[in-house]
Amino acid sequence: MADALFYVMAVAAVLAALGVVLAKNPMQCVLSLLASFFALAVIYLLAGFQFLAAAQILVYAGAILVLFLFTIMLLNLGNPGSEDPTDVRMFSRANAGLMVVVAAALLFVAALGVRRAGPLPVAASTPKTGLDPIPALAGEMFGRYLLPFEAISVLLLATAVAVVVLAKRDRRPNEGGRT
Amino acid sequence: MTTLEGFLIALAKTVVIFLGVVNVAALMTLAERKFSAWMQYRIGPNRVGPYGLLQPLADGVKFIFKEELTPAGANRFMFRAAPILAALPSMMTIAVIPFAPDIVIGGKNFGALTIADLDIGILYILALGGLAIYGVILGGWASNSKYSLLGSLRASAQMISYELTLILTILSVVVMSGSLNLREIVEAQSDITRWNAWNVHAMPQFVAFVLFVVATFAETNRHPFDFSECEPELVGGFHTEYSAMKWAMFYIGEYSAMTVMAALTVVLFLGGWSVPFWPDAPWYVGLAAMLAKTGCFLFLFLWVRWTLPRFRFDQLMRLGWKVFLPLALLNLVVTGAVVSLR
Repeated sequence: MADALFYVMAVAAVLAALGVVLAKNPMQCVLSLLASFFALAVIYLLAGFQFLAAAQILVYAGAILVLFLFTIMLLNLGNPGSEDPTDVRMFSRANAGLMVVVAAALLFVAALGVRRAGPLPVAASTPKTGLDPIPALAGEMFGRYLLPFEAISVLLLATAVAVVVLAKRDRRPNEGGRT
Repeated sequence: MTTLEGFLIALAKTVVIFLGVVNVAALMTLAERKFSAWMQYRIGPNRVGPYGLLQPLADGVKFIFKEELTPAGANRFMFRAAPILAALPSMMTIAVIPFAPDIVIGGKNFGALTIADLDIGILYILALGGLAIYGVILGGWASNSKYSLLGSLRASAQMISYELTLILTILSVVVMSGSLNLREIVEAQSDITRWNAWNVHAMPQFVAFVLFVVATFAETNRHPFDFSECEPELVGGFHTEYSAMKWAMFYIGEYSAMTVMAALTVVLFLGGWSVPFWPDAPWYVGLAAMLAKTGCFLFLFLWVRWTLPRFRFDQLMRLGWKVFLPLALLNLVVTGAVVSLR
């Protein structure tokens, strides 16, 4: 049962991911991405990672994709016209074939690598109960991995500040008197 | 307990809770009209059934038989998907709310009255509750109408802003009770030996309690924060172009979200099923207490709607970002400090 569900969700995730790249309408791309996130969340659940699944939905589907939707709605990217000539050339048959071959080769190499390396050292060193119980997860995150965690937080904060600075500089000449 | 027995018990709980909440949502539409009539010195619906009690049923039949209109230039697929996306999340969040302690009938324990006793109950509610925004955004966008688009932009900006306050206030409760499981949060509030008012989170977390209740009004797009459907400016907001059952789906979503939010307020802050001065009350008294407390909050939703005038949108945003968010953050920091020093 769980195995069958895993395969259904895996196929759904891959199909939805293809939809993100191939759909003409940007709105459909975003919805495909949403479907892909959901399928991934179900796979996390099947693997026993409840917290990860909930975080995936909460952060990606609930917050980040909503921002994407906002952008698409406000810029009115709705019409699938072909003003952009690179669009057509990029997906010519030869290019698409090349892309599929390269991607398949890369995946194959990666799969071989994973098979040869065996279980990851991190996975081997985790406690028997798994990382999912929230106290264990918090203990790892704010104990062993505190420095990387804080470094990423600072990086994100710096990015947010940088975006505000960039947006402000662009607008100043047009605003005439108002800060 | 055999597998079949467990399955049947789970099925029974699902049916009881789901039908209960959907029926409460339907009755709320009648209650809204009755209370508004009462407050405005009118009579209200009284033709269908005794005291107009069958009015929701008549409305349902009407919705099914009305003509469905799709505006020209609308994106058909998303126009159809949006009402479903609006109604689904609030119905799915019902699953983790515990309504009663362990049910014991004839010496047999059937477990707590909740569909799924998840360890990450609160996260589940937040994750799915955050998805309700898709119905609003897509509905407004797919309608191909400026009123709908403006309404959905306002509604989604408002929901994102107040979700932050909601999450931060919930976090302070989680820090106090030390669990993300809603059943354990309720049990942390009911002292086993004696009923102590200080145990209920609404007392030590009074700031969070007030912020949470106000934020639920904004989160469910209810008065005085119902800018998404601000009639004088936007006709009907994001559902201007909707008719018949599709329109009703938005309303089912709104009223079941209200019911879930009222129940969640009781679970997080008012001790869920625990009964004052009666620590070892039987389960049916606990269930009655839970329903009574939830009913009070549902009444508060109606009471506020027919009493207060609507805010202005910039006032709402300023309140959310400059008052509520810092206060909720401060409250969380203080709570964390007190808990870690204790």
